[in-house]
Amino acid sequence: MTADVLLEKDLQAQFEERIARGDKIEADDWMPEEYRLALIKLISMHGISEIMGALPEKEWVPKAPTLYRKLGIMAKVQDEMGHGQLLLRVAEDLIKPLGKNREDLMQDLFAGRLKFHNVFHMATKSWGDAGLIGWLVDGAAIITQTNMLNASYAPYARALQRICAEEVFHAQHGEAIILALAEGTPEQKEMVQDALNRWWEALLFFFGPPSSDTTGSTKQDITIKYKIRINTNEELRQGFLSKYVPRIKSIGLTIPDPTLRFDEETEKWIYQQPNWENFKKIQRNEGPKSQERLKLRRTSYDDNAWVREALSARIG
Amino acid sequence: MGNESFYQEFEVFSRRTKTSPFQHQFSLLAPNEDIAIVMAQENFMRREPVADIWVVKRDNIRGLNQEERQMVERLDNKDYRLTKGYGYLRKKWRQYEQGMFDEKEILSWAGGQKK
Amino acid sequence: MTQKYENPVVELLFQLADDDYLFSYRGSEWLGLAPHIEEDVAFSSITQDTMGHATVYYRLLEGLGLGVADTLAHMRPATERKNSILVERPNGEGVYMETPRYDWAYAVARSYIYTTAKKIKIDSLKSSSDQSLAEAAVKISMELYYHLLHWKTWFVQLFNSTEDARNRMTKALEKVIADCGDLFSYGDAATEITNASLIESEQVLLNRWTEYVKPVFETIKVAVPTFGKPERNGRNGEHTKELQDAINTMSEVYRTDLTAAW
Repeated sequence: MTADVLLEKDLQAQFEERIARGDKIEADDWMPEEYRLALIKLISMHGISEIMGALPEKEWVPKAPTLYRKLGIMAKVQDEMGHGQLLLRVAEDLIKPLGKNREDLMQDLFAGRLKFHNVFHMATKSWGDAGLIGWLVDGAAIITQTNMLNASYAPYARALQRICAEEVFHAQHGEAIILALAEGTPEQKEMVQDALNRWWEALLFFFGPPSSDTTGSTKQDITIKYKIRINTNEELRQGFLSKYVPRIKSIGLTIPDPTLRFDEETEKWIYQQPNWENFKKIQRNEGPKSQERLKLRRTSYDDNAWVREALSARIG
Repeated sequence: MGNESFYQEFEVFSRRTKTSPFQHQFSLLAPNEDIAIVMAQENFMRREPVADIWVVKRDNIRGLNQEERQMVERLDNKDYRLTKGYGYLRKKWRQYEQGMFDEKEILSWAGGQKK
Repeated sequence: MTQKYENPVVELLFQLADDDYLFSYRGSEWLGLAPHIEEDVAFSSITQDTMGHATVYYRLLEGLGLGVADTLAHMRPATERKNSILVERPNGEGVYMETPRYDWAYAVARSYIYTTAKKIKIDSLKSSSDQSLAEAAVKISMELYYHLLHWKTWFVQLFNSTEDARNRMTKALEKVIADCGDLFSYGDAATEITNASLIESEQVLLNRWTEYVKPVFETIKVAVPTFGKPERNGRNGEHTKELQDAINTMSEVYRTDLTAAW
């Protein structure tokens, strides 16, 4: 063994000891390649998902029914872009030693190397969808994101603290739209029920497969090992069901899964497994709106390339 | 990233009120400081009061690296520079039937003296 | 052609409200598509502020008994709208639900010209004979400084950068100026509006605007543009087809049930 290898081993041991005692890692600290790559994968996907997630919701910005709703959803989608900004900054600092920057992340997205979250490949068909996204998709996002608030990687934890504070507004924004509809006319009620029917599978997909047996891969094991997050995908999904099923039912909505029940013995929710083949399709960017959204993102990025070129050449 | 890039790194600081200290908020990318300053507030302080803003090119910040961060460590034996080291005075003043001029009392004088 | 309201305050309020509303509607279509993520966030704040300003005016109209603010914003057909042609123009080719090809040079040029004109109007409105209008102007003015600084920064920087950018900005500015004929116009209600001392005359404001933007145009080495006679006057309800398209989109949900709570 050479001295370098020994050194690497010591550093690895030292790093693992830091993680074990709950120390926080900073961007410039030594970190094992495995940790850096796991963070890059996780955080760049998280960041780019916010940027892509703005697209389905923005469809309803000009159509929001009232001035107040127009302003509210605008502020909400603006936050999504803002979350993308925060997270991409964290990812960019991690890829900087590899000689990469935001431009590379965008190109990775367009080339299909960088995936965006499965939930943002879905169509939004009505104003009810806009409300449901705010209420339940953001509700699900709050569960995954709060689970990482104490992440061992400090820059990520700091970004998440900002994000989760704003998510509280998102959740309430979604609740406000949904409650107005649920308490409204029969047509409005139908709008929410219809949205729930169409989004239920996506909500189950949201947390990812229970284990790698389901779909062939999951990055949950390594993120738990390095204390980036606490719970497994399935634990998060169970937490979501516990928090939201009673609320969904309380406002008179029917969950489109007659088999759904809480098993007192195992203290677990039993539910109809979604079709994980659809999930795999989305992962290959073959979801209902995958290609359209990528095209929109790419077109706007390419059409605006001249702006970035113009100002990067500017002196001073 | 060279100097020719659109994506220059800026650190953003702000103070909430005219008397509060500058606090680091986050970092952003911008091609130059004039763009950076018009991005700063709306990106990081949309919902909180702001009295003033700084943007600083990250290259101009000298921070600590992982090893150097050891320099912030110190022993917990410096009561002599804290009021904690002088808490016994409360008892003493009591013997003279006087109250303690502790932090709370002294800072309460900010309201001014009787005119 | 649109109806002329007897009360010149109503006439002017509709012009101000519709201007800010359409301008912010076009801004809202940009959300998520700006050339830079940080800018997307900043731009949206300006759009929200501006829609907030429109809301202030619509509420004043509501107070004058003209109808509910939301209905005024969403349900009036193009022929009843009093906004300038400039703010109703689409952001570029293509519709936002499909693959819009929005033009950032146009967004910057339009926003800079519109916001500087708005500043001149708001400053004049601060001494309006109408108390509530004067109070609204003082409030709105607070948020304008940032909008002006933001758009001026982009406007000057893009003009003074590469040849390509300068060409794009020059073309965009020409397109914007061609639509400015009615920007300072009060339409057929001009005499009543100025006689009532609600705001200074079109010519006074136009001259003041020319002086105001002169230093900025000097830095980009472009002569301060002059506005021609309007082909259509938006203040009189003369509009392009794009305005009705925009109204149809913005009211798509609202008009499904006007009595429902949303």
